[in-house]
Amino acid sequence: MFSFSRRTFGVLAFAGAVAFTTGAFAADKINVGILSLTSHSPSIIAEAKGYFTEQDLEVEFISFQAAQPMAVAIASGDVDFGMTAISGGLISLADKGVIKIIGGALQETPEIEGQKIIVSKAAHDAGVTTPAALKGRSFGITTTGSSFHYMAHKIADKEGFDRAEIHLKPLQKVPAVIAALKSGQIDAWSIVPNIAGPLTKGPEVVEIGKIADYIDNYQVTTVFTSTANAEGKQELVKRFLAGLSRGIADYNAALVDKSMSEEDIAAIVAMIHKYIYSDQPIDKADPRIRAGAMRINENAVLSLASVEDQLEWFKSEGLVPEGITMDKLVDTSFVETR
Amino acid sequence: MSHETTVPETARADAVGTRDEATLRPVPFRGGGFVHRPLGPVAPIVFLAILALWEIGSRSGFISQIALPAPSEAFGALVDLATSGMLWKHVGASLYRLFVGWTLGSLLGIAVGLAVGLFSLARAGLLPLVSALFPVPKIALLPLFIIWFGIGEGSKVATILFGTFFPTVIATYAGVDNVDRNLIRMGQSFGLSWLSIVRKIIVPGAMPAILSGFRISASIAIVLLVAAEMIGAEFGIGAYILMAGALFALDQLIAGVALLSVLGLCISWLIGKAEKRLLSWRA
Repeated sequence: MFSFSRRTFGVLAFAGAVAFTTGAFAADKINVGILSLTSHSPSIIAEAKGYFTEQDLEVEFISFQAAQPMAVAIASGDVDFGMTAISGGLISLADKGVIKIIGGALQETPEIEGQKIIVSKAAHDAGVTTPAALKGRSFGITTTGSSFHYMAHKIADKEGFDRAEIHLKPLQKVPAVIAALKSGQIDAWSIVPNIAGPLTKGPEVVEIGKIADYIDNYQVTTVFTSTANAEGKQELVKRFLAGLSRGIADYNAALVDKSMSEEDIAAIVAMIHKYIYSDQPIDKADPRIRAGAMRINENAVLSLASVEDQLEWFKSEGLVPEGITMDKLVDTSFVETR
Repeated sequence: MSHETTVPETARADAVGTRDEATLRPVPFRGGGFVHRPLGPVAPIVFLAILALWEIGSRSGFISQIALPAPSEAFGALVDLATSGMLWKHVGASLYRLFVGWTLGSLLGIAVGLAVGLFSLARAGLLPLVSALFPVPKIALLPLFIIWFGIGEGSKVATILFGTFFPTVIATYAGVDNVDRNLIRMGQSFGLSWLSIVRKIIVPGAMPAILSGFRISASIAIVLLVAAEMIGAEFGIGAYILMAGALFALDQLIAGVALLSVLGLCISWLIGKAEKRLLSWRA
């Protein structure tokens, strides 16, 4: 991996400053990491509609399979901005002083359908019809310290049983969790509605609850960048967030509130389709993109209370270094917080 | 092999002109060389020198801490693991999977390999199948393994079993093919039964190839351990490494990798012992 020390950054920043003064009209090139999930659409929309170009930014998208490698790529400086759930890896990197959370993205809100708790048919038949019955049951997670791990423990906390009594099964990837759930190898899982929807339509999976009942105002994903960007290129970060915010507004209007005209919505779905579900024809991908979109915070507003709750959970489980503080993890100078 | 070879240069030049004289000259010893001397302390010195350089690099900040943790930090993670008692849980779970998966895979592999080596029908029927299935990455089949073998020990053992089975088949039948035909013909001349020939000539003759196949399959088993423990494993060295990777805890990651290396060294040492014992007839 290419390591990016502060010293080399300083040299590059200086070189960049020189380049900037000599060629002031060249747009800044930034790399934005995305996953093939609809929640990553705002940057795609902002790019397609030219909101980034208005901010004098030239954006290149880099696709990742999982949140963890994206966080590492941002730390190494290969990618400038990303948007994923707060994971143990992200906090460890923040503790090392290389990345910072700069804004909020996907959040659970009361009026929009949020993440669901789903169980296999076998478990449902065996009496797991409410989340309270998850005591002593197995729960699928991708990796230790993932958002699924957090959600499982929050369910245990609120239902009043020991965290150890919900048996976590790390399965690395979302498709593996789906396979295990469908075949009844694990009892339960929690997932965003656009994946839960198609699953519960089939006979193998049943919905038993909502995550919103267990976690208040859950800030599911956040926008983050390297510390070098947050501290050395504040102007660039502000311009990126300004462009992204317009993309978020369009995303919410088109897919969450559905306040746009059908034509405009179709145009936005077509933009998203370039990167997400692009292996399927548009008429197949269209309903999948529209289904179960969750609200992304306007202007990338960040819920500090939720981030703090997640950080406390990571610490209580010993998954992240003890010394990490909110100041080290979050840079609140860019967006409004609540 | 250094200075012995330089002497004959002049001797040969003389020999062209004065043949009679050359016949009287003593012939210098030209053998020797091409033999490895055991140099015990070299390996630890190289190893320690690399560790020391790495440590110095990390301490001085030349190696960024997000690129690689200092070896002392990794050692610290290993000590934490040992004092918390988790080390044995992880190592124990992995050893069990390795042992069961590798043993079953090797036994099946030797059986199929012998069949392919001895019977034309088996060779015609099974060899293309082995060739077709060997290159399939077992990791790609993980979601299917979950359905077939469950997320318990079954899928983990199965991943290692499939990984070790195919190289063992190939090593075994190649070993059988390379048994000296003259020995087999001799056995036949002495009127040995088919079974005796297999037991006393073919199997011992194929043993060197089978054992070197073991070295490869044991390494493959360790490589696959990490993949096998991707599926629902709470304990195991592979699960520990995956967890460390997900949390970006590099000290634990390197500690886990070091554990795998030690495991590989131990297995290689054991196979070395087995080679000495089983192949004593060769000396």
